[in-house]
Amino acid sequence: MTEKKLPPRPLPRPDIYAKTRPFWDAANEGRLLLQRCKDTGKCQWFPRSGSVYTGKRNIEWVESSGRGTVYSWTLSVAPWPGHESRAPYLCAYVELEEGVRILANLFNVEPEGVRIGMPVKLMWERLSDEFNYPAFEPA
Amino acid sequence: MGKKKDIAIVGYGETPVVLRGGRSSYELAADVLDQILAATGLEKSEIDGIAVSETMSETSNPFWAVFLAEHLGLQTQWTQVNGLGGASTIAGIARAAAAIRDGQCRTVLVIASDAQSSYPPAEQGGQRWEFQYPVGLRGPTGVFGMLMHRYEHQHGLDYGALAKLAVTQRNHALLNPNASAKLKTPLTEQDYLSSKFVSTPLRVLDSVMVCDGANGVLVTSAENAARLGLKKAVYPVGYGEVSNYKVDDLTADITESGFTLAGPKALAQAGMSARDVRMFHPYDDFLIAILLQLEQIGFCERGKGSRFILDTDFSYRGDLPLNTGGGQISAGQPGLAGGGLNLVEAVRQMFGEAGERQVEDPRNAMVTGIGVIPFGKNWSVSNVLILEQ
Repeated sequence: MTEKKLPPRPLPRPDIYAKTRPFWDAANEGRLLLQRCKDTGKCQWFPRSGSVYTGKRNIEWVESSGRGTVYSWTLSVAPWPGHESRAPYLCAYVELEEGVRILANLFNVEPEGVRIGMPVKLMWERLSDEFNYPAFEPA
Repeated sequence: MGKKKDIAIVGYGETPVVLRGGRSSYELAADVLDQILAATGLEKSEIDGIAVSETMSETSNPFWAVFLAEHLGLQTQWTQVNGLGGASTIAGIARAAAAIRDGQCRTVLVIASDAQSSYPPAEQGGQRWEFQYPVGLRGPTGVFGMLMHRYEHQHGLDYGALAKLAVTQRNHALLNPNASAKLKTPLTEQDYLSSKFVSTPLRVLDSVMVCDGANGVLVTSAENAARLGLKKAVYPVGYGEVSNYKVDDLTADITESGFTLAGPKALAQAGMSARDVRMFHPYDDFLIAILLQLEQIGFCERGKGSRFILDTDFSYRGDLPLNTGGGQISAGQPGLAGGGLNLVEAVRQMFGEAGERQVEDPRNAMVTGIGVIPFGKNWSVSNVLILEQ
């Protein structure tokens, strides 16, 4: 009998689809960066190569306050490959003060305690020496 | 599109939906062509165009469409691939109609074939490697779990309505010889309500089972159909399609989709209102998607989907027959060929060939597609096709 080997939790692959290295560098310092369109002043998430608002490559990185509310959530019972050992776990769309939604895990709350609209604040989950990953907990 | 009825669907083919059948996308597609040639009596040389849906099992091959045409022995003047996920097949019909009207080709095989449950799927990559996979949200089930919670928060959601859809579609699958053998057991509303959670509040019986299979239709001009002496035809009379609805509104309501535009557009072209639709064959990756489409296409008011479902008889004998082959949820989802499953059922009904589940007076049908899961939204592509006899 051989035991089926579970895949490891997927780690981010920076700078593949877009230049995201500044985000991961800041994450290691505990700062959550978003992109801001310099023409409209509006923020965007996820990171892109240019502005989703204008199509122009006139964007910059800005730091988020890390404050937001739960827009929607789900308890992932069936895990994505690599997350088997921690299932079930909470995933949420968090609406940040800066006017974007970010997908993240919720910690320090039971599924019964999660409410749409509840205030949450940024925290970090250390995935590896290289990667600090943004997550949220009740504010 | 429009009411000209100058373009016709003159034949269809479909393999049974099979879990891990082991046959390739090429071989499955060969069954579809064989059936279409047998039903129409045409030689393959009449086919001079092909529109192929992207697949999960073959999309890593950049030459899939041309290789498939070569495999099938088709020399074409117009070759096209649609990477719109489950929206690809009805999008293929709209594009084929445009190409035929433009004189680029005369007769098009619109085909989808996918052995997703037998072969490893293509990687979808992009931003997911950084901003989804490490979080562990499962797409599509996780995304639809989020969608259901948000809908429930805004409008209230009666799970009895979803249970009714589950049972209606299962009853239809029991009458469909091509439905997956794995799903051919009767289902009760209680079975749905007590099935396991995948991603709360979404349950196993909200979801499709990924299988293998192929389906397709033959599209030509009405004039050419007459020249060829083809006896059976249905006509596309309305079409609407939206990709990346509200892409630059990053706090848009995730329960609202491109169907709010695509549905009314297709109906207007067909000169119809939702009340005039005889049969509804919506894309059904999850039961909640049917409810949202009923609201957003205009069968009922926004937020009133549960009530409408409970008040409507969706059986093949009912007021608004719905996915009379069982839909993907109860016939099985043949990978990304799933977008053609409910289309072929609509054509089969309109040809009067649906056997013991035949709808009376199948004078028209609305067929829809949903494709691709984006980041933090509902779904990427919404499209609606209206067919008339």
